[in-house]
Amino acid sequence: MKKVKKVLSVLTATALVATLAACGGTSGTADKDSGAASGGDKLKKITLFQSKVEITEPLEALVKTYKEETGNEVEVWGAAGDAYSQQLVAKLGSNQGPTIFSVAPGPESEKLKSYFTDLSGEEYVKNIAPDMELKVEDKTVGVPYGVEGFGLVYNKDLVDPANVKDLDSFTKLLEQMKAEGKNGLSLSQEAYFLIGHILNTPFALQSDPLAFIDQLNKGEVKMADTKEFQEWAKFMDAIKANAKNPMEVKYDSQMGDFATGKTAMVHQGNWSYSMLADFGDMDSKIGMMPFPLAGNDKLAVGVASYWVINNQADADEVKAANAFLNWLFTSDTGKKAIVDDFKFIPALTNIEAGNLDPLSQAVHEATNSGQTIPWALNYFPSGIITNDLAPATQEFFMNKDMTGEQFLQKLDEVWAKASK
Amino acid sequence: MKKTGKWLLDIVLLLFAIVFLSPVFIMLINSFKDRAELYENALAFPSSFSFEYYKSAMEKMNFFTALGNSLYVTVVSVILVIVLASMTAWMLVRTDNKLSKIIFFTFVATMLIPFQTLMMPLMQVMDWIRSNLHIPMLNTHEGLIYMNVGFTSSMAVFLYHGFIKSVPVALEEAATLDGCSKLGVFWRIVFPLLKNITVTVAILNVIALWNDYLLPSLTLSDKGLRTIPLSTFYFFGEFTIVWNQAMAGLTLTIIPVVIFYIFAQKYIIKGIAAGAVK
Amino acid sequence: MSKGKDKAWFALFTVPLLFIFTTVVIIPFIIGIYYSFVQWDGIPANPKVFVGMDNYVQIFQDERFLSSAWHTVQFTLLALVCVNILGLGFALLVTTKLRSRNAARTMFFMPNLIGGLILGYIWQFIFTDAFSFLGEKTGLGSIFFNWLLHPQFSLYAIVVVFTWQLAGYTMIIYIAGIQGIPDELMEAAKVDGASLWQRLKSIVFPLLMPSFTICLFLTLSGAFKIYDVNLSLTKGGPNNATEMFAMNIFNEIFAYGNYGIGQAKAIIFFLIVAGLTLTQVIITKRREVQM
Repeated sequence: MKKVKKVLSVLTATALVATLAACGGTSGTADKDSGAASGGDKLKKITLFQSKVEITEPLEALVKTYKEETGNEVEVWGAAGDAYSQQLVAKLGSNQGPTIFSVAPGPESEKLKSYFTDLSGEEYVKNIAPDMELKVEDKTVGVPYGVEGFGLVYNKDLVDPANVKDLDSFTKLLEQMKAEGKNGLSLSQEAYFLIGHILNTPFALQSDPLAFIDQLNKGEVKMADTKEFQEWAKFMDAIKANAKNPMEVKYDSQMGDFATGKTAMVHQGNWSYSMLADFGDMDSKIGMMPFPLAGNDKLAVGVASYWVINNQADADEVKAANAFLNWLFTSDTGKKAIVDDFKFIPALTNIEAGNLDPLSQAVHEATNSGQTIPWALNYFPSGIITNDLAPATQEFFMNKDMTGEQFLQKLDEVWAKASK
Repeated sequence: MKKTGKWLLDIVLLLFAIVFLSPVFIMLINSFKDRAELYENALAFPSSFSFEYYKSAMEKMNFFTALGNSLYVTVVSVILVIVLASMTAWMLVRTDNKLSKIIFFTFVATMLIPFQTLMMPLMQVMDWIRSNLHIPMLNTHEGLIYMNVGFTSSMAVFLYHGFIKSVPVALEEAATLDGCSKLGVFWRIVFPLLKNITVTVAILNVIALWNDYLLPSLTLSDKGLRTIPLSTFYFFGEFTIVWNQAMAGLTLTIIPVVIFYIFAQKYIIKGIAAGAVK
Repeated sequence: MSKGKDKAWFALFTVPLLFIFTTVVIIPFIIGIYYSFVQWDGIPANPKVFVGMDNYVQIFQDERFLSSAWHTVQFTLLALVCVNILGLGFALLVTTKLRSRNAARTMFFMPNLIGGLILGYIWQFIFTDAFSFLGEKTGLGSIFFNWLLHPQFSLYAIVVVFTWQLAGYTMIIYIAGIQGIPDELMEAAKVDGASLWQRLKSIVFPLLMPSFTICLFLTLSGAFKIYDVNLSLTKGGPNNATEMFAMNIFNEIFAYGNYGIGQAKAIIFFLIVAGLTLTQVIITKRREVQM
């Protein structure tokens, strides 16, 4: 029977450990809460959750500086890039949402809008560049990270932008490159780089892109019947006929081939510069130009993410969150971090652009001169690029017999299904 | 002749094992390359074996804190599930009635539910427990351990159930006649006989929990609580991966489990040797 | 001993685990069943509209869901065969008296230690870079090409990776089973002059039936639920040729924001799979030899 007792005591011990541990947790959180509330004029500790993994480290450093300067605490959470939105939803759903978080425009912010705090009265939002804020029913609810832009990123040694002005000259260049054993234009297999971005141009060139998307969703118009799309299909034919099959190219190899001069142009954005930089200094060799569809001479510029404040947080937390965002967008330390450490092209008028890389410089200049087309793709139905448009594009590039015209019909078909 | 045959088999076996391990090899060599070198050739040996990416990966991941967190969560979860599941499975095998059959099949059937469909309701249940019973199920290691036990229990019960059936009932009956209670019978007679399957359950669960990303990512938010897989998020952007640090981080993640496995495996072999002598 | 006492023991042994299991798995599952009858985008603050069987009706018009179910069935059958043949083979090899058995056992098990998404990325290197390299060097271009670009072969690619990962896992369980076979039995058979195959067929395999049941079921449930490898290796491509069931549900819930439909899909699939696998378990269990 001695052994039985031993076993019993082990069992009780395990159970005890479990309960004790659980209790330990309780008192821990309770302490934290009371500590924050009793801190005099110190603001309540807040949490911040955002999608851009690349800025996590500088953000953590910045928050440390914030604490040194003001005494207030911000905890930065983290998630791998493609797991962010799903984790955000799960956390909001169990009332453990962050105080400040990031959202993408379009369907994502539409879905989450009931969580946004109205920021219209805050000082820092007054500096947001025209039309760059996130709005819900005329109230400003989100502050842009920065502006980003995409177009044709080209190698100056191989391409003269003056010679890429329309379908004919574009096709000619691709043919010439093919003859020289180079890849004229590279897309890559990731859904946005394969179809999302390049399909943006014909949408953005419509007189009212949002209305067009709406009509498309309702089945009132068809891409196949629209002029810009018909020409776009011919561009796609030229790419399919003369360039390397993008299905065999990954973002990594796309940028590698471009950096090593095997590819003349890539359809990419200013964010790709950080990858090019890993291959050595090529600032003098690269530039960004518009995708020359239907006479288009503008870069596609938009905002990929906004900061918003969770309205489920209590009033003290919202206050602290506003204080942090205000500090981020108006203090010298904050502004400097946005430009130098996050490497964003600022979307607030009170922030000077820093030392920009050549791609960001092109985007910045386009923004300042107003020579831009919008990111219509933000308003595509939720999930459509990855789940519907990309598979159709894969079929186009895999199926030797499929023409651009048929591709366009296929896109109409999957769009109709997805927007139902 | 027999001897050479054996040698040959040895060599074939090892060769096969090496081919089998080639992806691990790819992981290792690429943890030493920068982006340009990786682009050149993903399969070639690195030009230099500097451990800088390991160092930076460890710093970013806050490796030792994460290691401690992972150890705590994994070890406690696995011990609890072994204790609870072996007891449950034994009772279910030895009690031959409808109820225990229903319980067993419920355990088995739930193994077929994709986790993604449980996660939202699960978070809501845990939030309900937190706000109504004031037990902090979310953003604590203990809450995660609780959920881990729940999710690993089906497989553990299933495995124990299968093996307990081969334990002769006669032994237990003899012990009962000697005046042992059920607890005594189980822990003195039955559990020691289940050593092999216990080690198996331990190995499988240690690995599954050690590598788990999704559940911890939903329940743990604070930086100080992150387990090892959670801490590797720094290397995974939406479109890019910092390959060398990601591979280095992954290598660092699996080293503890490899050590554990080699240790546990010795234990199995010892158990067999002991059994053979009897 | 009295009946009541037996019941108390039963409760003492099973209730703690059952309680945890119920709160973590059963209750969320029941809530999930409820959600399959509502129209909802998965955002807690947004309205849930009760729509009855509508979600279920929609599923059967969803061709993509049906074809993802078909991919999953194909994949599962292939994976089931490959994983178990290889796992059992490994287990038999490393339980012999070969000198290299310990090293081999560790090496076969290693793939299992690498979890999660990065595994798929590593295999991408193999199917793209290594395969084209091998194709050039060996001239076997018809075997070594980029499998991930071919609708059928990309499915095989997932089978390969899944097998690679799970063979060591089943090996462990088969080893535990093989070790449970009394040595005397094997020795006696050897003395009687039974050949290796005879020994396997009439002693090892029948006595391994419990392990078979377990391994088949574990592979089956793992294969039906496959998500990580699917996502990181092919993302369902090319042209949806490898979109499996779990990915389809996941997209329905998180990409399209149709939470209710996603749940309904999960319930339907659960019912079908549960039916199939339970039949399988019952069949193999009948064949188990009681010791």
